[in-house]
Amino acid sequence: MSRAASLRTVIPAKAGTHERPTRLDARTRANVLIAAGACIAPLLLQLPRTLAIGIAVAALAISIGSLRRPAAGWVRVVLALALTAAVFATMGLNFGRDTGCAMLAAMLAVKPAETYSLRDARSLLGFALFAPFATFLLDQGPWSLAFGLVAVVLVLLAMQRLSDVESQDVRDGVPPWRRVVGVGRMLLLGLPLALAAFWLFPRLAAPLWGVPDRAIGRPGLADSMSPGRWEDMLLDDTPAARVRFFGRTPPKQEMYFRGPVFTEYDGRTWSRGRWQSAYVAPDVHPTGPAWDYELAMEPTDRRQLIALDMPLTAPPRASMGNDRSLRVDRPLDAVTRWRMRSGAIDRFDPALPEPVRSRNLQLPPGFNPRTVALAHQWRQDAGADDAAIVQRALQWIRREFAYTLQISLAGRDAVDQFLFVDKQGYCEQFSSSFVVLMRAAGIPARVVAGYAGADQNPIGDYWIVRRSDAHAWAEVWLPQRGWVRVDPTAAVAPERVFDTLEDRARANGDLMANFAPVYDVGDWVVNGWNDFVLGFNAERQRAMFRPLGLDAIGSERLLLLFSLVALGGLAATVWLLSRDVRERDPLLRAWHRLGRRYAKLGLSRAPHEPAGAWARRVHAARAGGDAALLALGERFSRWRYGDAPGDGAAPPREALKVLLRDLAAHRP
Amino acid sequence: MRDRLHALRARLERFARPREPEAFPVELHRRRIYVLPTRFGLFFGVLLAAMGVGALNYNNNPALLLMLLLAGAAQTSLLGAHLQLSGLRFVAVSADPVPAGTPIQLRLHARAGTRGRARRGLRVDCAEGVAMLTLEEGVGDAELALPTHRRGWLDVPRLRVSTTRPLGLVRAWSWIWPEQPLLVYPAPEADGPPLPDGAGEAAAARLHPLGDDVHHLRAYRRGDSPRTIAWKPTARLGNLLVREYERPQSADIELDWLQLHGLDPEARIRRLARWVDEAERDARRYRLRVPGHPPIGPAHGPAHRHACLRALALLPGSRA
Repeated sequence: MSRAASLRTVIPAKAGTHERPTRLDARTRANVLIAAGACIAPLLLQLPRTLAIGIAVAALAISIGSLRRPAAGWVRVVLALALTAAVFATMGLNFGRDTGCAMLAAMLAVKPAETYSLRDARSLLGFALFAPFATFLLDQGPWSLAFGLVAVVLVLLAMQRLSDVESQDVRDGVPPWRRVVGVGRMLLLGLPLALAAFWLFPRLAAPLWGVPDRAIGRPGLADSMSPGRWEDMLLDDTPAARVRFFGRTPPKQEMYFRGPVFTEYDGRTWSRGRWQSAYVAPDVHPTGPAWDYELAMEPTDRRQLIALDMPLTAPPRASMGNDRSLRVDRPLDAVTRWRMRSGAIDRFDPALPEPVRSRNLQLPPGFNPRTVALAHQWRQDAGADDAAIVQRALQWIRREFAYTLQISLAGRDAVDQFLFVDKQGYCEQFSSSFVVLMRAAGIPARVVAGYAGADQNPIGDYWIVRRSDAHAWAEVWLPQRGWVRVDPTAAVAPERVFDTLEDRARANGDLMANFAPVYDVGDWVVNGWNDFVLGFNAERQRAMFRPLGLDAIGSERLLLLFSLVALGGLAATVWLLSRDVRERDPLLRAWHRLGRRYAKLGLSRAPHEPAGAWARRVHAARAGGDAALLALGERFSRWRYGDAPGDGAAPPREALKVLLRDLAAHRP
Repeated sequence: MRDRLHALRARLERFARPREPEAFPVELHRRRIYVLPTRFGLFFGVLLAAMGVGALNYNNNPALLLMLLLAGAAQTSLLGAHLQLSGLRFVAVSADPVPAGTPIQLRLHARAGTRGRARRGLRVDCAEGVAMLTLEEGVGDAELALPTHRRGWLDVPRLRVSTTRPLGLVRAWSWIWPEQPLLVYPAPEADGPPLPDGAGEAAAARLHPLGDDVHHLRAYRRGDSPRTIAWKPTARLGNLLVREYERPQSADIELDWLQLHGLDPEARIRRLARWVDEAERDARRYRLRVPGHPPIGPAHGPAHRHACLRALALLPGSRA
């Protein structure tokens, strides 16, 4: 057979060598399934509780049920259909991005039923990696990323295992931590490249396509308010925003964060007025100090922004209505940062035009007759003095009302019931009833929702605004003074504040108090994360280069820079990877290093040459000899091959140290 | 379409180094190591690209970070696969000759620096077979079974040494093409006439426990049968002696090409090969005469057998 012939016969057949699908052993399969499970877990944490538990149970049942043999085709189909039905039953039929994520989790839960060969396992791992990715569409906190990292490590471990199986060299004896270290090393070696890409790869200033909304909204300030519905939010301790002040910090009792302003009332629900946009409020003039601050707003999926009362200007990408409430052009689906300026203003809309005035006096006819009667009574008593009526209402509240989170169900005339029957409730009832009372008395008034108060985090020096700080207060329009903030809830006499959040926390055995420092540190980590990672966008990328004197760095130059840094990272990776395995024995390491120094003189030790023989050869070859090397060689041999390590005089550890130092110090 | 792809692939592979057989030892270096993503690697790449576009679009930094970490690990695995092969040295190939028709075990001896990286699970393959090569302490052998069809020299095909470690995302491979051919003996005839009788005069005697003639006496050794003890000389000399027998060995066997007239050459070769094996099994001396070759023997033993079979294997044939 000629050479050419052999070549011709070898090659076409080559392409036809297809691997038969080999069945994975139980241990490898378990590795793959655990990795996939770790991928789904963070996603499940972001889904509605019942659905998440359902999917988790299904995934476990399928994994265990298919341990021995694949599930029948119809079983898989039925399972997939059942889980799909469960997803839509929970999320409703409007397809949001959380629906998509839930579907992904459901499909991944069914996949183990058909995962037996190498190829199946690899496709499962690949699709499973979408799960942490999907998690980040729902939540971008550092803990999600931590979970995601664990999942990535497990997936890489499983991939390594599959590769071992493919090359028929599985070593079960290797301790698991060694494998984890191996994968960690791989990730670390790729890190320079990854970070270069992260900081330097050109970012999109505007998205190519929009983020689909969620089917199930997040808790938060809505665009309407039905008194008595806030209890969930008031019990939600998670942060709504974080604020860092530059320079002056307002006193805590002045921290009113202004959210949506409600003017429309139908007897039950307050909502924003659509008509507001047509009317342009006159400019305001700041009086007194202003506060500079940066507000990091947690995602709400709504367009409402909050700002310290009163915002003086609207930040870029936000617009201010005539009620000085800020709206954003896109729903806030990620942590966003806003640089703002607020302060006291002299007169807010002092000349209220008639249409606006009448809107702010509007009441649904036929509701709350007792309140309306009382208001007319007060108006008669006070004459034209609006301020007196406001004061009288506040005094009444101080005298007779109590604050509690436990409220009774409101009937048709909710305000009447609150003012004359219950006489207790929380901010929603107070503000809503107060505004109705004012309007009935002929004073323009409106409800403002937002957050009141914040907690300072001593670590990192910033303030946390929690969802439980949600608050509603009132604004009344007084002649010459314009809109004035009145907080009827704050008027409640302190001794009549009963069931508050603090009380409920205390009932839980002061758990929160004990863990406060831990919580502070945890939140500080989150804040730093928001600052450092989440907030990084095209704008910040440009800002990063400003100190370097690169004012307007274009995409091309950015790409060039990225390429350069990436090449550097790549070179570092290659260098680190191609290094030999490090000798573990320090003595041998030092001895080899010494040998390399001699190798430069052409006196390298041959692989077969004993230490002593080499030292003698060098001694003979060099003019003037090399007595020091002879001595070192002798000591090295005695230490390594002799009976009693050390010289006998010094303890072995000390003697080894001395020998190592001498070896390191010796120069040919 | 598929055929055309294969043809294209074949053409590309012909450009790969080495383009002709080479003398060993051979060291794999970066100019002859090729790296391409596997099918899984392509899938993984598409997945990462989708993640990257999504993350950039939503300015979702954790997702981007995740994707970049995975990409970094994939990149490292690419280099890792390359480095598994780089610096690997193939020092020799060897194989024990086998009769045509039975697979020959090709042994590849590989070395790498003892202090170097762990090189495990390297796949050595060609169209006909697959073997795994794992180096322990810098030394490793791979045994590849190649089918044989004809006697004579077997050219070793170009062998691919490849690895998909550590993650299975990329395959690094290199070709080695040993120049040294392997010897394949002729296949012995399945059945045929028995060995011809010895023709020569020179009869030899050989010690044999079942022989008839007493050859000599020797001192008793443990394990000798009591029946072989020569009691009379033992009584005379005072220590145990045993008899040893011999059996007359037939004359040397002549295995002559020319005497097998009437058969076609290949059949003659196969019959002679069988006779060589039979004579060797019966521990008989034999001489082989083939055209164009001085007579081999008479002798016996593995070396003689090899010389005879080699001569038979390398006879010019009708198809060679």
